[in-house]
Amino acid sequence: MRRHLRDFGLGALAAFIIVTVAFVAFRNHDLVERQTRAANAVVSDALGGRTAMPGSRAVFVSRATPSTKHSFLRRRSMAPAGGPLVWRPLAPGSDPDAKLLYDTATRLDRAAASSGSRTTPARIVELVPDGSGRAIAADHAADHIVIAITAPASPAPYPWVVMLGVFGLGAALTAAGALVDRTASPSGAATSGAPPVGVAWPARLGTFAGIGVLAIPTILWGSVVAATLIVIIAAGLAFAQHRNLTDRFIHGVREHRTALGFLGPAAISMLVLVAAPFVIGLFIGFYDHHHGSWTFVGLSNFGELLSGGGRALDDPLNFWFIVGVTVLWTVVNVTFHVVLGVLLALLLTRPWLRAKGMWRMLFIVPWAVPNYITALIWKGMFEGEYGAINSLLDLAGLDGVTWFGSWIASFSANVITNTWLGFPFMLVVAIGALESIPKEQYEAAAVDGASAWQRFRHITLPYLRPALGPAIVLGSIWTFNMFNVIHLVSGGAPGGSTNTLVTDAYRWAFDRGERYGMAAAEGTLIFLILLLWNVFGKRLVRAKGATE
Amino acid sequence: MKRALLLLALLAACERPQGILLWHAYNGAEKDALEETAATWNAAHPDHPLQLVAVPYGAFADKLTSAIPGGNGPDLFIYPQDRIGDWATAGVIEPIEFWVDDARADAFVPAATSAMVHEGSLYGLPLATKSLALFYRTDLVANPPTTTDELLALTPAMRQRAGYAVAYANADLYGHAPWLHGFGGHVLAADGTVDIATPEAARAMEFARSLVVAGAAPAQAEGPLVATLFNEGKAATVISGPWFVADIADGVPWAVATLPKVSATGEWASPFLGAEAVLMSARAKDKDLAFEAMAALTSDASAIVRAKRARQVVPNLAAYNDPAVKSDKVLAAFRAQLAHTVPMPTAPAMRMVWTPYKTALVEILAGRAQPADTVQSVEREVESYLTGPR
Repeated sequence: MRRHLRDFGLGALAAFIIVTVAFVAFRNHDLVERQTRAANAVVSDALGGRTAMPGSRAVFVSRATPSTKHSFLRRRSMAPAGGPLVWRPLAPGSDPDAKLLYDTATRLDRAAASSGSRTTPARIVELVPDGSGRAIAADHAADHIVIAITAPASPAPYPWVVMLGVFGLGAALTAAGALVDRTASPSGAATSGAPPVGVAWPARLGTFAGIGVLAIPTILWGSVVAATLIVIIAAGLAFAQHRNLTDRFIHGVREHRTALGFLGPAAISMLVLVAAPFVIGLFIGFYDHHHGSWTFVGLSNFGELLSGGGRALDDPLNFWFIVGVTVLWTVVNVTFHVVLGVLLALLLTRPWLRAKGMWRMLFIVPWAVPNYITALIWKGMFEGEYGAINSLLDLAGLDGVTWFGSWIASFSANVITNTWLGFPFMLVVAIGALESIPKEQYEAAAVDGASAWQRFRHITLPYLRPALGPAIVLGSIWTFNMFNVIHLVSGGAPGGSTNTLVTDAYRWAFDRGERYGMAAAEGTLIFLILLLWNVFGKRLVRAKGATE
Repeated sequence: MKRALLLLALLAACERPQGILLWHAYNGAEKDALEETAATWNAAHPDHPLQLVAVPYGAFADKLTSAIPGGNGPDLFIYPQDRIGDWATAGVIEPIEFWVDDARADAFVPAATSAMVHEGSLYGLPLATKSLALFYRTDLVANPPTTTDELLALTPAMRQRAGYAVAYANADLYGHAPWLHGFGGHVLAADGTVDIATPEAARAMEFARSLVVAGAAPAQAEGPLVATLFNEGKAATVISGPWFVADIADGVPWAVATLPKVSATGEWASPFLGAEAVLMSARAKDKDLAFEAMAALTSDASAIVRAKRARQVVPNLAAYNDPAVKSDKVLAAFRAQLAHTVPMPTAPAMRMVWTPYKTALVEILAGRAQPADTVQSVEREVESYLTGPR
């Protein structure tokens, strides 16, 4: 019986969270509904000349008298509804709700103006956004505005009694099921110790019914989704009991308690910092964002990107142009990183070289400096009139280059900066691989009369390959997603033509009217491309490794 | 879970002080001046002191839009007016015309208050205005040019010393705006719709290009380059804003004047007018009190403090009667320029214009594109961001 109640407890916990979420949603919706209905009724009463309900109030507000000097200044007056019309100015201090009445009247005028016709004026009904739970409604009367404010209301309290009752009922049902189970099979699970195999159907039915009962309140609140979820949990738990999964789960947790304790913090932070943003990002890709309002648009963001948005293929804003630039950017950079890294590594492992440690340290410096600082330094050096690079060219008697004026110069400036940043990584990897090559092999090759090229081709390269393969895959992903260099050095100039996918996604989010949906869709596409490349690249490395 | 939330809410409630919380992004002299005016308020209202919190400018807007709808954030904050449209639509900021009467509105330059208006409501009180004006070296220019022809006439003499008649951020719409408006062009039409592809805008671009071709202005000048040229005597004049004063080296003889008229049209070259404003959060605790603080910070007395200590171009008309402010030639020049400015549009569409326009200007200045086609493509690009999938 204990383990049945334990299983019930687990299921009930999940159900409890769902019920609570459903309740909060229901409660807010219910409050808005109740209060706006009340506000609407008060307005209609005032329009019909009846007095307002106790606790709520209705007032007449005059039409605006604009200031002669400043068009944005307007004066209004107010009078209580339901009696003789006694007008007094609607000014600061005249009424506790004066500001609220004044602003609501202004917004009613604006709504009427934007709907375009005075004959069907728009009525405003909404909750006052001050946390009091009051609702306000405004409408046009014959020659003034009538505004109603309801009494404050607090949302319904959490139904503890109902929840406890349902919880107790569920526990009782589970226990009953377990008892029937025990009477049906006396040799069953009562004694602790060796876990029994399987759970008979009465106990499973008890668990199912016990948790299913928790769905009752959500049905009363009209939350079909929550009810369905709870029933699924109940059915799932009963099935798990049938397969004995819950016992095994608890057993596993007990056994690996220490390990789970160590893993917990990291797992939670990964969930919050990596998994959650990732999932949210995926979802945002299906929405469109305009001035704070979200609309579900299905796949249309992806469609706009993949179709190029109706732009020519050589237009720098066409998605495929950007893909091309990004691929070129990655290939060129990684090639430079590897070639430069391997060449320097070969140089730094020469036996005749003095002060190896110092040289290695010097070459790693670009890696040790934060890359946005390096990028800003290079940006300054590429400056047209006074930048270091053009000054050097000038000294050498050459013409300065307008670095960010043409695509090829601007792209080169980015590549130079990123090569500076990227080669130390390949250098370190290559040095590690070179140091592990047994000297005897070279000696043997030299004795056999192999040329320097042959020694490189048949000894050095095969040893480098297994180390460089994964480094190249990793480096290509870093380069593909390199934001800092492109954003800070060329900034996409000229005309966005040196943007890569990540900087273009940034532009969608922050430069083009907060189109977060487009940015998220582009982020998803970047993820898919890199996922494919990762799988493909790994296979490539493995295939190469296998042929050796 | 609920209890934990309650606890968090309680903690948050404890942290919130009783005073009026104000966020700003000022530093240096502007911060000192603001603190001085806040101290005056605090002495008069010991129960409701102003609490100034400096928030980095880069994070300012994001912090605000996430804090205020949740009922957190400041009561008042200081920010340029260009986001008023967004924030008013999203219900982040409070309209304030309810508390304002004619007398208070009269205290400010009309252009400054009208920059704070969105859909007929006033959302802020102005602290300082920012616009471009003409800086000139008094050793190279006897009288500041009053027309663009006079400006161009400086070219031959300046070419002899390998310099330019005028240096300004010509690849940027903000720097280009004086010509755009001087030729009768605009970015947004009067009804707020995007209207970039006009013949006037094309002519303004043509003019900017002609300055480069004639050697009157360097191509693609940016802030640091403009300052260097001016300090080295290689630019006779510079079009820049009040912030440029800090870049001028010691010993350089200079003065500020109103931007010239465009000779081709006879209209004033009119830069954009930006204004820094005190704005009120829609969730401010005591709104009547918050407005009082707002009014105190933008009063004539506070304006004089800011003009003297931080040399802010204050929009308060009466502040210029103060002898110390009146005798400040720089402030007087920027004050005079206010008459020929175009308020920066508050419409959200404006924020999408900057990058495409800059791209276009780079192409034009390099002589790689025709103005008439370029303005068309800028408008198309902005339109495509505006419509999108809805």
